[in-house]
Amino acid sequence: MAATVAASILWPEALIDQEVLAGGLALIPALLLAHYRGWPIVTLLLGVGLVALVFMHLSPLFLGVSLRGPFLILFVLAPYISIALGAGWFGEVRRYQAELRATQLQLIQSEKLDSVGRMAAGVAHEVKNPLMMILTGVKVLAKRVPAADEQTRLLLQDMEEAVERADRIIGGLLNYARDRDLDLSFADVNDTIERSAMLVKHDLENAHITLVAKLQPGLPKLQLDEFKMQQVFVNLVTNAIHAIERDGEVSITTSLEKLTRRDLTGFRSTDRFTPGERVVIIRIEDSGPGIPEEHLKKVFDPFFSTKPTGRGTGLGLSVSQQIVDMHGGAIDVGNREHGGARVTITLKVDRKGAPS
Amino acid sequence: MRKRRILLVDDEASITRALAMYLTENGDCEVCVENKGSRALAAARSFKPDLIFLDIVMPDGDGGALAAEVQADPVLKGTPIVFLTALVSRRETGGTTMTIGGYPFLAKPVHPETVLASIAEHARERV
Repeated sequence: MAATVAASILWPEALIDQEVLAGGLALIPALLLAHYRGWPIVTLLLGVGLVALVFMHLSPLFLGVSLRGPFLILFVLAPYISIALGAGWFGEVRRYQAELRATQLQLIQSEKLDSVGRMAAGVAHEVKNPLMMILTGVKVLAKRVPAADEQTRLLLQDMEEAVERADRIIGGLLNYARDRDLDLSFADVNDTIERSAMLVKHDLENAHITLVAKLQPGLPKLQLDEFKMQQVFVNLVTNAIHAIERDGEVSITTSLEKLTRRDLTGFRSTDRFTPGERVVIIRIEDSGPGIPEEHLKKVFDPFFSTKPTGRGTGLGLSVSQQIVDMHGGAIDVGNREHGGARVTITLKVDRKGAPS
Repeated sequence: MRKRRILLVDDEASITRALAMYLTENGDCEVCVENKGSRALAAARSFKPDLIFLDIVMPDGDGGALAAEVQADPVLKGTPIVFLTALVSRRETGGTTMTIGGYPFLAKPVHPETVLASIAEHARERV
């Protein structure tokens, strides 16, 4: 105990990284306090109350040992004060640990994406040659099949469409693997959203889905690759349409906000933002069934898809994350309180050279 | 007007076989196929094509270097070349004619109708 106290005074920060030690320390005073029969004699607070010396009377019942007379105990009160206050140091420790874990996960994800990208580029190149062979062969046969042989013609048509689909997937893979550069310029994200909405207008109408845009006017201009961000919004709205299937609502809201510490805890890219920083937040919500809890951790994984075969490549959210990351922003996926999914994109407001 | 003479250079024999079949049956073409990059220049000298479709990445020859050799050759100089490549996707070309080193290219998998259109556009006309 004495060694722990000494270590805590000399290297209090060591506790921050030693969750087990801190947890162990938390147990001891809990036991002591449960059998508390005495009174604190001296409470010496150092700094912001990190360390305290307390003299306590220990009950003879404690530890099942018969002890005569008062027993002097010196211990570090710091974590317990924090617990008692329900905030502060211990909370900070937990927050730092959560951030550390999030950063580690992000690094792993980034590594995974890089290797997937490299693999995708290789595979895409190898697959294109056989696709070309099949496509040309189908076309040769289609020319030879008599017009009356409707069934064979349909079969060949299906084969051609299958090749087209495979080519689209491969195009997506290459796009994913290569698009590492941004063509940045200052742009109004509301305009980018409106242009993206035009691209999905047809799909929305077909599915009887209303798009509600609540865009805060006068947002500061952001450094954006408009084409790539458009791709993000189209991906997200398309996902929402697929989730709703038919008859529903997709809403896009934008707002200028100031980040709080609480906001940062949920982010996957906490190191990119600081409390008090001004950001533009874009929320895309849908009236679909929401995302099952067990899928939430996987949604950004490349090739993860719950859509029927042929409808999604499982790259949409992964590509969107990559693009938002490249913009120095953060993207998070969750569920709304009253059903439906919510995607939140946070983008930095960069004032350097920004037009008014 | 005589048939257009088309040389297909690609290490994938299945592609050149199918494409040669399509062009012969559906276009007014005479097609020669070469699956070895290292033999492509000799094949071109002997066939004297009006247009060469050239793969870029081949195990025994680089399409770009071969194009330069064709243009440096006194007999073949000026022979139109169109690259056929899997290095770029159709989406990247955006449906427009793009060039690599000044040569037009088609992104694999390319529709054989597009190959025919490319012949109409780029092949040297001989009366």
